[in-house]
Amino acid sequence: MMKLATAFAAGVAMSLAFAGVASAKDKTIAVSWKTFQEERWKTDEAAIKAVVEAAGDKYISTDAQGSAQKQAADIEGLISQKVDVILIVAFDSDAILPSIKQISDAGIKSIAYDVQFEDPSALYVTFDNVGVGRLMAKTMLEKGKSEGNFAFIKGDKGDPNATFLFEGITEVLKDGLDSGKIKNVCETFTDGWKPDGAQKNMEQCLTSNNNAIDAVVSENDGMAGGVVAALEAQGLAGSVPVTGQDGDKAALNRVALGTQLVSVWKDSRALGKVAGEAAVALAEGTAIDALPGVQKFKEGKKGIEMNSILLAPNPITKDNLADVITAGWISKEEACAGVAAGSVAACN
Amino acid sequence: MSSPSDTNQVAAMAEEGAVSRFFRATEIDSRMIGMIAALMVVWAGFDIYSGILRPNVGLFGGSFLTPRNLWTLLVQTSSIAIMSTGMVLLIVMRQLDLSVGSMLSTIAVAIGVLQVFKLGPWLGVGNEYIWIIAVVCGIALGAIIGGFNGLLTAYAGIPAFIVTLGGLIAYSGVAWALIRGETVAPMDKTFKLIGGNGPLASIGPFWSWVVAILACGLVVLGLLNGRRERRRVNFPQRPVWAEVFLGLVGSIAILGATAVVNSYPWAPKVIENYAKDNGLAIPPGIEDKNGDAICMAGEAVVRCVDGLIFYTGYAIPVLIALAVGFAMSFISKRTRFGRYVYATGGNPEAADLSGINTRWLTVKVFMLMGILVAISAIITSARLDAATNSLGQFNELYVIAAVVIGGTALAGGVGTIYGAMLGALLMQSLQSGMTLLNFESAYKDMVVGTVLVTAVFVDQVYRRRVK
Repeated sequence: MMKLATAFAAGVAMSLAFAGVASAKDKTIAVSWKTFQEERWKTDEAAIKAVVEAAGDKYISTDAQGSAQKQAADIEGLISQKVDVILIVAFDSDAILPSIKQISDAGIKSIAYDVQFEDPSALYVTFDNVGVGRLMAKTMLEKGKSEGNFAFIKGDKGDPNATFLFEGITEVLKDGLDSGKIKNVCETFTDGWKPDGAQKNMEQCLTSNNNAIDAVVSENDGMAGGVVAALEAQGLAGSVPVTGQDGDKAALNRVALGTQLVSVWKDSRALGKVAGEAAVALAEGTAIDALPGVQKFKEGKKGIEMNSILLAPNPITKDNLADVITAGWISKEEACAGVAAGSVAACN
Repeated sequence: MSSPSDTNQVAAMAEEGAVSRFFRATEIDSRMIGMIAALMVVWAGFDIYSGILRPNVGLFGGSFLTPRNLWTLLVQTSSIAIMSTGMVLLIVMRQLDLSVGSMLSTIAVAIGVLQVFKLGPWLGVGNEYIWIIAVVCGIALGAIIGGFNGLLTAYAGIPAFIVTLGGLIAYSGVAWALIRGETVAPMDKTFKLIGGNGPLASIGPFWSWVVAILACGLVVLGLLNGRRERRRVNFPQRPVWAEVFLGLVGSIAILGATAVVNSYPWAPKVIENYAKDNGLAIPPGIEDKNGDAICMAGEAVVRCVDGLIFYTGYAIPVLIALAVGFAMSFISKRTRFGRYVYATGGNPEAADLSGINTRWLTVKVFMLMGILVAISAIITSARLDAATNSLGQFNELYVIAAVVIGGTALAGGVGTIYGAMLGALLMQSLQSGMTLLNFESAYKDMVVGTVLVTAVFVDQVYRRRVK
């Protein structure tokens, strides 16, 4: 009873506050996080909060602590507070759907942030994941090798992302693979995306090909570390281009040192900024499909068409290493540790 | 050789078949022969199959039985093999440690942070004491965590399964919290050598031969010492031919393994870089793509048959694993501590009543496990030249599988160190071999799981037959 009464009181207070100023300002944007145990969400939160507060709106958040039930209760609480837009990082993209229905029934806008749930009323904001694979392959063709023996070190076989990435990679390399210019000499999944597993896989690949490997497409930075260690043992680190993604600090240092070609970087601050801006616009009454950069997306599990904003990730190579340094993602000292003077522009 | 017991034995042996007489005389564990035979079959199979797919220089025309692959295989096995020796003692004592994987990541991350973020800036990157401090701290940390597991099990009375299941979850959290899921790299230059990643982290042919000859000497000394001990306590002796046979087989195996690792040449690029760094002259020669040496053909560095060449020899982690195996065998067979472990595993109540402090013994065995995990953590992170919280994940499963394949009974009391190490080698052989053949990883998992269950089944059948 007490809880209900408090919620009621809070609701009354809120509506009174809104009744007072019905201008574009003073809207409330809420975020339901799935968990705050992971460091990265704090970065996202800072970016969203900055945009929301700069627009004069109010930011509130709840933490589901890794529980689908807690998240459903959180969202009920947010609805009763009559917020204007709710951003959701879904813990379980199916279990969340009844809550999304409640949100849209209450006339509140929802945004699926980074994790997709398939409800046509929501806006889906994320990085273009198939695009990451395409970018890896594209960078490999343009700045690494465009023909020869390619090794593919894929992520965990249980993770759909490993397959999405590989689809993007093979899509770009298709012409080369079909014409025989590019030969797929090793292709292997790596349990748990483990770097030491990738190292063993790469060693086996080098052994079976007598070191005749021209390029390695690794699906993330951690595994790229294992691949580079295996190449180093054969004196090949630096002469065989290796891809990766995530913008790991150790990987960016390898990019500077020249032992890794590219780390495709998904800046969670940029994602937070875009989502924050979309939330502010939705709160002010802009229609979802009138938001800048909105496109249709139906590549989800169920194939339901949604409005989405897909951010293009940034492939970081030696040439644009300055991007990560100026964004404050990594310090110049960390990125440039051990780099010979004058070899990388960003390190001078 | 004409003591009464000798003649009795000879009379008994006359009634047996030739094979069982041979095993009885040499006292070789016939299950070990079975495992080695299985290993040989697997190796030959991989070599033949890979040879059909892509001919290479292996014994049967493939790429598995090549010095290079066998060398890599040994390095890849060393970390799991080291941990399996400790797990044998735990399982023999009817305990279990599920937390070894998470412990490994915690220790690897901790010493990574220590050397990169603390000692590096403090002593200066590249300082020669960094690796020693890191190794000592890692081993101390392993002993502390292991001891903590042991205390909870032995004195708080919580089953080891629960304590270490909790540890599996909790320590992985510690590893994550220490660096927030990031990667610590690169490791100290000297520390890196412990990982055996590449030729420069090996001891070279000369020292490998020295080690081999010392090991052969140890084999002979061991046999002689065994005879003296048996005479002292009036125990039946092995026939002289059996002793000679064991000495010869042991020495040939050691020398053969050494010859294999000593014939793995450095990769041409590595020779080239080494020559450049050390100002060595590269001799002129004619290009031959099949050669392992390097020559100068005009201005270009090319591969050739007769030129500058170096061979690898034993990798440092392999030597560490062999030393650990030797030490652990000695501990388990020749020390009071080891005998107490087996006695406790065979019958805990009887051991307790006969005056063995089984609780303190449990703590000590867990502590030993922790130290071995630390050694593996050092090797794994040095080999990858980086530490992340995902290192060591699932290792508990591979370690326990290796121990079980190696003939250790989960019911306790029975198990050998060399069996577990062979088990680790067999598991890694299967995984490496299937990767070499580009098997899909789903099939790899199916095969490894099936082999584990089959090995235990065969072992059970064998034990029942022997009884």
